[in-house]
Amino acid sequence: MARLYIGADDLVDNPTPRVPVSLCLDTSSSMNGSPIQELVRGVNLFYDAIDEDDDAHDSAEINIVEFNSSAGLVHDFASIERLQRVSSLTANGMTAMGAGVNLALDTLEKRKATYSGSGVLYYQPWLVLMTDGAPTDNIDTAVRRVVDLVEAKKLTVFPIGIGSGADMKTLARFSPNRPPLRLDGLKFKEFFEWLSRSVARVSRSTPGDTVKLDLEGLAGWAEL
Amino acid sequence: MLDPVEFLQPNRRLFIDTNVFMDTSPHRSGGLKRLFERGQTTILANSNPVVVPTKVVGELTKQSQIDPSGESEERAEAIRKAGAALTFLESASRVGLVRKDLGDDTNPYADDLFLQLFERFAGTYEMCLLTHDITIKLRIRLLAHRLAKRLLVGVLTKDGDLEVDADESLFDRGHRKYARHAARVADGTGNFKDESEVAVLRPLLDEFGKAFGLKTPAVKPGPRTARPSAPSASTTSRQVATPAAPVNPFSARARLKPSDTTLAFSALPSEGERVEWASADKTGTLVLGALLGEGGEGAVYDGDRSTVVKIFDKDHLTRHRKEKIELLVSRNLRTKGLCIPTAVVRNSAGEFVGYVMPKASGREFQRTIFNKRKFEREFPNWKKADLVDICISFLEKVQYLHSMNVILGDINPKNLMVDEKKNVFIIDADSWQLEGYPCPVGTPMFTSPAMLGKTYSDDLRTMEDELFAVATMLFMIVMTGQFPYIRTGTDGDMVQLIKEGNFAFQYENRNNKDQPEGDWKYMWSHIHKPVKDLFWHTFHREGKRYKKRPTATEWLEAFKAYKSYLRNSRMSFDPMSNDVYPIRNKAFKQDTPIQDCPTCGRKDAIAGIWNDDNEEYFVPRQCNKCRDQQPGRTATPRQVSVPCRDCGLSFPKSQLRYGRCPSCAQKDDERQARSKTLDPTRLCARCQKPYITYGNVEWHQRNGRAVPTTHKPSGGRYPAGCVPTPAPATRGRATTTKQSVQPQTGFWSRLWKWLTGN
Repeated sequence: MARLYIGADDLVDNPTPRVPVSLCLDTSSSMNGSPIQELVRGVNLFYDAIDEDDDAHDSAEINIVEFNSSAGLVHDFASIERLQRVSSLTANGMTAMGAGVNLALDTLEKRKATYSGSGVLYYQPWLVLMTDGAPTDNIDTAVRRVVDLVEAKKLTVFPIGIGSGADMKTLARFSPNRPPLRLDGLKFKEFFEWLSRSVARVSRSTPGDTVKLDLEGLAGWAEL
Repeated sequence: MLDPVEFLQPNRRLFIDTNVFMDTSPHRSGGLKRLFERGQTTILANSNPVVVPTKVVGELTKQSQIDPSGESEERAEAIRKAGAALTFLESASRVGLVRKDLGDDTNPYADDLFLQLFERFAGTYEMCLLTHDITIKLRIRLLAHRLAKRLLVGVLTKDGDLEVDADESLFDRGHRKYARHAARVADGTGNFKDESEVAVLRPLLDEFGKAFGLKTPAVKPGPRTARPSAPSASTTSRQVATPAAPVNPFSARARLKPSDTTLAFSALPSEGERVEWASADKTGTLVLGALLGEGGEGAVYDGDRSTVVKIFDKDHLTRHRKEKIELLVSRNLRTKGLCIPTAVVRNSAGEFVGYVMPKASGREFQRTIFNKRKFEREFPNWKKADLVDICISFLEKVQYLHSMNVILGDINPKNLMVDEKKNVFIIDADSWQLEGYPCPVGTPMFTSPAMLGKTYSDDLRTMEDELFAVATMLFMIVMTGQFPYIRTGTDGDMVQLIKEGNFAFQYENRNNKDQPEGDWKYMWSHIHKPVKDLFWHTFHREGKRYKKRPTATEWLEAFKAYKSYLRNSRMSFDPMSNDVYPIRNKAFKQDTPIQDCPTCGRKDAIAGIWNDDNEEYFVPRQCNKCRDQQPGRTATPRQVSVPCRDCGLSFPKSQLRYGRCPSCAQKDDERQARSKTLDPTRLCARCQKPYITYGNVEWHQRNGRAVPTTHKPSGGRYPAGCVPTPAPATRGRATTTKQSVQPQTGFWSRLWKWLTGN
């Protein structure tokens, strides 16, 4: 219980507005091998970059949701200081993308409620959806929730396809404002570097500001 | 010439300011004595004592405590007079000639108090203030004109007559006073008082001239420039040798300039390249030093030891910026802590590309005092008083810029830097709004409700918009980065939070259920009450200053009072009030027990909690931090139901106020209000007026004591207003006649002593 308290302390003592980022990652069997290893390396690099950035350090709060045959929480939201690096992710099973996205949205809602209940300012959350295949469950509810939130300007979503097997048509349904991007090869490192820069950019702005994304930086990792 | 005794009639009031008691001028000596001699019968007959507000008594006390050795003869005499005046006032108030209980010590400034009183009671009384201060004279004259009421300001002659300046002569004297202070500000010998007078007088004189249709006189600083000008080193540099022509402020009423456009250029210089510079009076060249940083508008290079050079990028090289910087450079404003452009920079083709400015030291607020982790790393030994010093340093600069009609516009924690000596530096001068050039950037958190939704670059900010940003910044300095409109139950929409004006921190008896979690409420609870008042009234939509926000000068006074409050251990009796991060509420009263926590050893971590029922303090066993860490307790004990202390029904704890459910709390408020009301059925046996509150009657009855029958005497004397009525109370009359006669000899002899100095 004492540890729980420190968590809350940490949350409310810092007056910096938070930007919650949910990484919703495909860990189905097709990711096995170098894709999952590169993904883990990329995520840890993302953590390091956030840690080193003066502004993002105090703002960013990250969680990881994985989906394979079902959806699960790898770790819940925490500030970078309290985050353990990810040692490994196991890839097997199907691609329950609908369940994954729903879980990620649920955790974001819950986190926002925590901010709201404790009196912590926040930016509207980010959802990063990464997959190398096509969903094996029904995604209609998840798509509707994402589109509603994006249109209400309450969510920024980044659907990213990994490799040639990624179903870009499905990803496009999750992205009403801009076309989904396909990772160039296994450039997870470049993607997460870009993501950390973007988070840092947001955390230097004020909640409510429109933040321009670094579109030129996309060239470093996206297949255009 | 008027007779001041006329202001001792029942529907009139007479006030005296501090400086009158400390006046050492021989041609006015004896005037006060005459006044009291002539007026005493009238005063007593009408029970209308002369008013000397508590604040004036406080100022006299402060003055009398100064060590006169080493002061000029005149000054030493004034200090001595202050001490003698206190003795006089003490005896005069005992016999009802003077009342000094008006206002309390929390009013930061006697001038403002007089003005508030005059404005508030202008409809009730005709009033007169005796003072030598030109500024307050101007202010009250203007108020009288505005309200069309009889409010006089003047001084006493030797004979105790009232001497009142003509409008024109007051106006002239005001201009001379302004010129004196402005000259000191301009030549760099000015102190805070000079800047403050300049800031107050300039708009005041403008308004005065307009109200009375007077033309600005041609004024030279008058003969009172007693202060020797700073000896200037014999140097050829014109900047140092040029004395002190008062710097003219920028126009206050310039219209918005046409939209900004980018400028053409052939090349932007970078590190190692030579550029031309031109200041107000000199030109030269310099080589751009190391690249210090690249921001959203351009790059900053090392200049020389004390300067840096900003070179704009292609998108920010604009006509507005060029013209604004040329204006700033031409005025040659120099104030420590303001990174004002000192020279225009041109490339080898002679095109405007940037400017030279003084180097700021320290680090951005955002990376120091606005974040606990960084704060404790950067300045581990700082106390609350240090944060108050930062507010003062910031305000002095803002006040100066406002007196020059410069609006900073984009006040935010990245444009303000602080060093380890608590100096504040204001950077980004090229974004300031002046002469109709708007400040093209902004930060939503510091944007006033009226400005939200407008385009920064297409609209001029008003002073009210600016003062919103100033207030927000001050709040965030004192509250170490917390936003004034933070509260629970938000959806993260900051613009909405500002617009709704729901300031959630606990204030007086208001509901506080939206306060943010964590120690913020404790931090807020320890803030000096007058500053707290200003914050609440400025930020809460029901506050009195929500639409007319405090000026930099007002804030400066309040923060200086905060500073002396923290230094005075009698006033600021709770040692935790000087902590940057307090962990409990401020102690209730001076006698509240304060203890170290026996569990964790944190110093002063426990303060007694007053219990109204048994009228004693309850002292918790542990501090808040240890209590919260006990097993079984989580950080947010939500929805715990507890019984209401009055009706006994169960309610969620968050709904209770001091242990009472909402409806019982309301009943209690009504009870409390009633207990503070005078019982109109009970009249004082001496003066036949209501004298005792319902609450006080109940207290006596509850404790089995006899309810008093007269006003409460203190130190053997009844309060000034309690004058025996000649009618039924025969016994009362007998005793009081004795009382008003007896001390009188003592009083007059003391008065005589005071006036003659024997």
